[in-house]
Amino acid sequence: MNKTINQKAWYFVIPVFVLVAFNAAIPLMTVVNYSFQETFGNNVFAWEGTRWFKQILLSDRFHAALGRQFAFTFIILLIQIPLGIGIALTMPKKGWGVPVCLILMSMPLLIPWNVVGAMWNIFALPDIGFLGHTLNSVGFDYNFTQQPGDAWFTTILMDVWHWTSLVVLLSYAGLNSIQPAYYQAAEIDGASRWAIFRYIELPKMKKVLTLAILLRFMDSFMIYTEPFVLTGGGPGNTTAFLSIDLVKMALGQFDLGPAAAMSLIYFFIVLLVCWVFYSLMMKNEARS
Amino acid sequence: MFTKLYSATWGDVGKAKEKGFFDFDLFSWMAWTWQTAAFFIFIALCITAMLIWEKKVPGGSPRKGILGLDTTRGDRLFVSLLGSAFIHLFWLALVGSVLWIATIICIGYAVIVFRYV
Repeated sequence: MNKTINQKAWYFVIPVFVLVAFNAAIPLMTVVNYSFQETFGNNVFAWEGTRWFKQILLSDRFHAALGRQFAFTFIILLIQIPLGIGIALTMPKKGWGVPVCLILMSMPLLIPWNVVGAMWNIFALPDIGFLGHTLNSVGFDYNFTQQPGDAWFTTILMDVWHWTSLVVLLSYAGLNSIQPAYYQAAEIDGASRWAIFRYIELPKMKKVLTLAILLRFMDSFMIYTEPFVLTGGGPGNTTAFLSIDLVKMALGQFDLGPAAAMSLIYFFIVLLVCWVFYSLMMKNEARS
Repeated sequence: MFTKLYSATWGDVGKAKEKGFFDFDLFSWMAWTWQTAAFFIFIALCITAMLIWEKKVPGGSPRKGILGLDTTRGDRLFVSLLGSAFIHLFWLALVGSVLWIATIICIGYAVIVFRYV
């Protein structure tokens, strides 16, 4: 029997192509164009060559923002992944507790990002906020609007509150997909709780955990709204992560050229890390 | 569009720009220069070349490269381009001038990636 070859279905992809062209490709091309030029507005541009790239690559401000960004992402991954796995392990497997836990867990994920920022801002205010006032009244000198350490603490706490649920839900799904036979075999062998976790649960969760780490890395590396509302990058520049610093440069100072160069460097870093994670995931897939 | 080729100097900043033949309002805001246009044309040519290559030798010649990753031709192009971006950035940061040497290094790097990765 002759199969007819009909590739006309590809035409259905055209709307997506147009959409991506307008919301991604064309703006990105414009950013590339901006990154090599200087402008004072009015649509007049002057060629600057690679000057902005050199300036950004050698600027202490960019190094500091990049350092803060990596520190933040590293810290929240270090907290959220183990915490998420821990919570998923303690969640009930059947009964009425399952929907209750799942709904409670998904609540923070449903709240808009700027609302999370505003909530935590009010919650942590040292004079009237519940968290801030309580901490101060029990003797801690806590003020996230003035002390960098407190600002970091609050930002990390907020991110942990907002996003640990994602790790929990993914780990829970991974745990639930493990066949009971594995646990029965472990029981027969007299395996300890730790051995069950280390040799059954963790390997079975590997795929979802890689996904969780990738998602949490991406989201925290591009974080903008929450710290913007909570601290605005302050006090000083101590919580100005890459995207906050970028917006300050592009819209605050109207340095479109350097900001465009910075966003391209930022984009390349994100692309590189994504590629590394994707390759690792695919490598695991091929092995299993 | 490409009138920037003639007007892209500091002396012309602030002057009213003459409207060139290619200055469509649709994309004059994108601030094109011939250099960046050449870059994107190069990328488009790369993709076209990959398409032709795929037509000639279908299947993308998958293999396990020296990094232990399963790669196809498209992966190798991506790795070459991304790596080239980083080579150029590091060159700018560490050396700063004569950028074309970095470009030559990138061509060598791309050849290595296409042969072994």
